[in-house]
Amino acid sequence: MGRWAAAAGFFGLAALVPLGVRDAFLLDALILILLWGSTSAGWNIAGGYAGQISLGHAAFFGLGAYSAALLGTRWGVSPWIALLVGALLSTVAGLVIGYLSNRLRGPYFVLATIAFTQVLLIVASRWRGFTQGSEGIPVPFRPGFWTLGIAGKAAWVYLILGLAVLLYLVGQYLERSRWGYQLAAVREDEDAALSLGVPARRLKVLAIAASAALTAACGTLWAQYVGFVDPFYVFSVDLSVRFALASIIGGIGTALGPFLGSLLITTLETYLRARFGGAGAGLVGIYLIIYGCALVLVVRFVPQGLVGWLGERLRRRGVAEARS
Amino acid sequence: MSLLSVRGVTKRFGGVVANRDVSFEVTPGELVGVIGPNGAGKSTLFEIITGFYRPDSGEVHLDGTRLTGLTPDRVCRLGVARTFQKLRPFPGLSVLENVVVGALTRTPDVRHAREQAREILGRVGLGDKADAHARALSTGQRKRLELARALATRPRLLLLDEVTGGVDQGSIPGLVRLIRELHQGGLTVLVIEHNMRVITAVAQRILALYLGEVIADGPPEIVARDRRVVEAYLGQTYAQ
Repeated sequence: MGRWAAAAGFFGLAALVPLGVRDAFLLDALILILLWGSTSAGWNIAGGYAGQISLGHAAFFGLGAYSAALLGTRWGVSPWIALLVGALLSTVAGLVIGYLSNRLRGPYFVLATIAFTQVLLIVASRWRGFTQGSEGIPVPFRPGFWTLGIAGKAAWVYLILGLAVLLYLVGQYLERSRWGYQLAAVREDEDAALSLGVPARRLKVLAIAASAALTAACGTLWAQYVGFVDPFYVFSVDLSVRFALASIIGGIGTALGPFLGSLLITTLETYLRARFGGAGAGLVGIYLIIYGCALVLVVRFVPQGLVGWLGERLRRRGVAEARS
Repeated sequence: MSLLSVRGVTKRFGGVVANRDVSFEVTPGELVGVIGPNGAGKSTLFEIITGFYRPDSGEVHLDGTRLTGLTPDRVCRLGVARTFQKLRPFPGLSVLENVVVGALTRTPDVRHAREQAREILGRVGLGDKADAHARALSTGQRKRLELARALATRPRLLLLDEVTGGVDQGSIPGLVRLIRELHQGGLTVLVIEHNMRVITAVAQRILALYLGEVIADGPPEIVARDRRVVEAYLGQTYAQ
């Protein structure tokens, strides 16, 4: 099976990297590729499979990140518990947003998600007594697996790789299960789906909630890895756009797409930041311009994303070989 | 005992009365045609039966179960399937996948649903198109696809909105034959149709609507000669 082979190749290669590579910069890049890929895969459940495009998934990511930071600093709670708390909070938030925007079709869901992120940003940056406001909050480092105090980058690669594979499998399930078919129907034509007995509203809300929970889990692990949570970063529109972008470039509504998209844009960003960040400080934002160009090019030339494009090429080659 | 019972259904859109006190019964195994000029309220009636619209007053029952107030997906699961006048296939899915969505309403098992979908596609004459994209089909084929998708939900009552509308003349006999076959297989069918030749050929009974009201209800040959029906279609001067 082509799709399994591609995924096995991608994740297998990622697993081999730490065996040969010791360079912290490269390992860090790999961790971020996998982490942003996973987060985008979480976004993809609502945005890709259910067609509920969100530009506010940073809200859920931030909830996960703040859960780790606040529970860890204030009450010494394990990040694994924080992960569950963040996921739970995000599920509830996802259910509420999904339910409220459900009756209205069109751009209301996108607007609701953006607004929700802004609300959380204001709370996180102003409520100094609890969140330490706009200074941000460090995530305590306590060595050990239970406290997720892991110093070695290689260990982080495997931890985040586990997360990535999990998210990939969720995507695979959605491509092949009853749920996946029904969500695709809702995305393609909600009325037609209803007429065929698909409980469209319930499925949409559930997809949004699941998407929110998994995105929050990614946020918790990210906070634990980076060690610091800045409200203006985790609740930024930039971040939300990144989640959407990786899926759109890689292949929206496909299991491997978000990871391929992340491979492309995270690598690009890391390279551009390293290249222009220090020396030409004036060019620090250039990666955003290049993001924009990449998006325009993809939408213009490969609207089905990298996965669709690669699949098409492989199929054509297969046909050509079969003919000769 | 009737399978479908529509009692005193009225639906207004602002000042326009789309359905006024519409009542009729459909017994199991019947094939009933619904006719009427544009704007007579035929499609509105279908939308009300399938739960897409809520009537302002009146009720719809299926085999004793009240459908009014239920969501369209519940209505479908209770056994009412429909096609749309303006065709709505899932354009990004393959022909087979379109039908699988319908089949999954009755079985949670995807493999089982795919088998059923293949079988149904064969029955409607789309067996060789299973892997094509839905958007690549001709209008006649899309009508068959909508029919297949609806059949996959294993309905007790099938509502067809304009089976032959927009289809080339050559495809009409095939579609008519298909509907006959389904009916002979025991399915109860309610069909909106503009083509009088088609409707008198398939329907056992015709319900004529005009300006939202039922103006005739009976065997095709009688309804086709009914003074009010002729008036509604052609205007008063031709009704002598």
